[in-house]
Amino acid sequence: MWSRKSAMLGSLAVAMYLLGLTLRNEQLVTIAVVIFVFLTWAALFGGHADVASSGRRSEEWSGEEGLALNSVSAMRKLSNARLFEDGELNVTLRMQNESPLAKILEVKDRVPEVMRIKEGSNYILMELGPRRETFIEYTLECPLRGFYSIGPVAVRIQDPFGLFHKEKEMHVYDDFLVFPKMEDLKDTFVKSRVPKIFTGAVNIRQPGPGSEFYSLREYFDGDSFRAINWAAYARSGKLMVNERERDAVSDVIIIVDSRAVAETGPVSRNALVYSTRAAASLAKYFLGRRDSVGVIVYGDEVVSVDRDTGKKQLYVILTKLAGAVARGNIPLQVVVNRILPHINKGSPIIFLSNLEDDPTIVNALRDFRARNFDVTVLSPSSLEFEFDAKRIDRTGYEVMKTERDVLIGELRTLGVNIMDWEPDMLLSTALAGARGF
Amino acid sequence: MTMNTPSGDTKHLYDGKTVRSSAPSRKKLAGQAGGSSEIPKDAIPKVEMPSFIESLLGGPLVPKMKFLAPDRMVQNLQLGVYGVLVALSLMTYMVSPPEGTIWYMVTGSLAISLIMQLLIIGLAAGTGFWGTFQRDGRYTLISNLLFILAILRFAASKVSLSSDPFGLQDSPLLLNILVVVYAVLLVMYFELTNGVIRYSMLDTSIRTNEVYVMNPKKIVGKYHRSLLINPIFAGVLAIIVLSANTILPLIVGIFSTDTALRMEESVELISVYGVALGTFFVFCIVGGLFALNLPNHLQRFREKRAE
Repeated sequence: MWSRKSAMLGSLAVAMYLLGLTLRNEQLVTIAVVIFVFLTWAALFGGHADVASSGRRSEEWSGEEGLALNSVSAMRKLSNARLFEDGELNVTLRMQNESPLAKILEVKDRVPEVMRIKEGSNYILMELGPRRETFIEYTLECPLRGFYSIGPVAVRIQDPFGLFHKEKEMHVYDDFLVFPKMEDLKDTFVKSRVPKIFTGAVNIRQPGPGSEFYSLREYFDGDSFRAINWAAYARSGKLMVNERERDAVSDVIIIVDSRAVAETGPVSRNALVYSTRAAASLAKYFLGRRDSVGVIVYGDEVVSVDRDTGKKQLYVILTKLAGAVARGNIPLQVVVNRILPHINKGSPIIFLSNLEDDPTIVNALRDFRARNFDVTVLSPSSLEFEFDAKRIDRTGYEVMKTERDVLIGELRTLGVNIMDWEPDMLLSTALAGARGF
Repeated sequence: MTMNTPSGDTKHLYDGKTVRSSAPSRKKLAGQAGGSSEIPKDAIPKVEMPSFIESLLGGPLVPKMKFLAPDRMVQNLQLGVYGVLVALSLMTYMVSPPEGTIWYMVTGSLAISLIMQLLIIGLAAGTGFWGTFQRDGRYTLISNLLFILAILRFAASKVSLSSDPFGLQDSPLLLNILVVVYAVLLVMYFELTNGVIRYSMLDTSIRTNEVYVMNPKKIVGKYHRSLLINPIFAGVLAIIVLSANTILPLIVGIFSTDTALRMEESVELISVYGVALGTFFVFCIVGGLFALNLPNHLQRFREKRAE
């Protein structure tokens, strides 16, 4: 394949040759001949590589390969197939030269754009001896959740002057999964009013058989003497008994807004990134409390993870959250209509959305509240992300912020626990704010 | 749309309402609406649109990379360029006498055209030196174009020299060699100036950890060897190609001495058209070899021989 340099030299030579003939200038013809010879020599014997002189990057390679690259093969090994955001992935690429001739190769292992190379390099210039192999190691930093794949391996061989090159794309791919990172939560302040009796229960905000203190009340016939609070009796002169918080598991439903508008803002700071991280943290917390957790992610379709408990459920949820892509614009009302018949009345519902571009939000959340669901809304503000990134001016920000505040106020009047989640706020703080603590 | 500070105060929106969890910073901002709706300059993302030429070439003509201080390899290449530049300037002056230049055609004055020619060569050398020193591709490109401009002459079918201290004008072979050496120097100048930029790019990429080079000495050694071997081969092959007007009569002489003699004395064959004819024949053969996929056969042969 011709590089840009050789194409320019070739064109120059042709022009000089023709101009030389026209002007009857032997020097011009001689220069043209020397350039032709130079190019011919490089094309005939250019079997080796050096730096990419043409300015072309491997991304533009079209995959023309010659005999010289037939004997080169590659294999890759990843340290992990699943990791969390900000985790590190060690990649080992094995390059093999099965030919009896040494080759100078330019190798580029293509990595996803959002990844950062922390150590080593994925772009190597090397001499690979006859029938030799070499290992290339580098470490990737994975700042964003998602399904990713590394590959293909692009190999280039070219003459020392960078005039001609041969290229090969080795279709060696390795997939890996980056889960959203999780915040450790001490308390979410979210408790169900509807118990679900189950072994290994946790307390809910209702008096009943349990281990944690709930309140004091007067003694009634039939109450256990063991429950009498003698100190309170001494203070008040009335028989008082301790009530305990009722232990039970509950269903928790987390709804994540993954519409196209959720990705408004910078790649690493937008509502979807915050929502997925929050959903992962909440799922971990509730599952740790032995609740049943179900997740619904909606964008261009409604993807749901059925309620279940246990560690396995956490990874099922994390996988769905990792794959959440900002697409489509399904209204919340559609999601609510679809899930309402399937969830227990009174279950806590946590809705994670930037609340933008959906006129059905108020009605949909009203439907939840009308059926006595405990609704908590955490709303990462896309407006703040955009304003911080200086993509909107102050006036625009003020106007949209006012509209947003009005919407939040309206939702609050419905009895929705809502928090305008600012970018620098911790999830636990946002949750506490939403629940009025 | 503009918003004045007093009317921009949105505090009235909160009057009579309990706004529990609206973020304090936002409340503060709400009361500070600015008087202008002008978009801040840094809010507009920079979009790199390729120019027409860049679109044609598929990338920038001159790399926009900022280089780190040159390493030893780049410094050596720069020294090489300076040496070639001096030799090339002298030879350009030698092989391009002012007669027949564009300036001579326009002004009709030998003195003016000599001054113009010297000016162009001087400028070519100056921009070449500066471009190499600064590692700026724009200057080296201008230098390359000026060297080509200096050699553009009309009615120069036979090579003439502006300065001939060694009496080369009398020997066609030596004259041929001189022109070929000049052409090789010019091509090597192109290559070396390009090499300075390429290896600066590579060196910067290595030092910024963008590229890792295993055994750089071997790779650089290969380039150094090519810098010596390729011009020699190119020169020898070019001399053979350009001597077609001598070689052809020799071959014809085997069959007919008279025809060979007539060919030797033919004005067409010893002029630039003879050179062109010879070049045409040779490159027809080269083209044929490429059409037969010679490079691949050669590679296969080398692989087999190594086994």
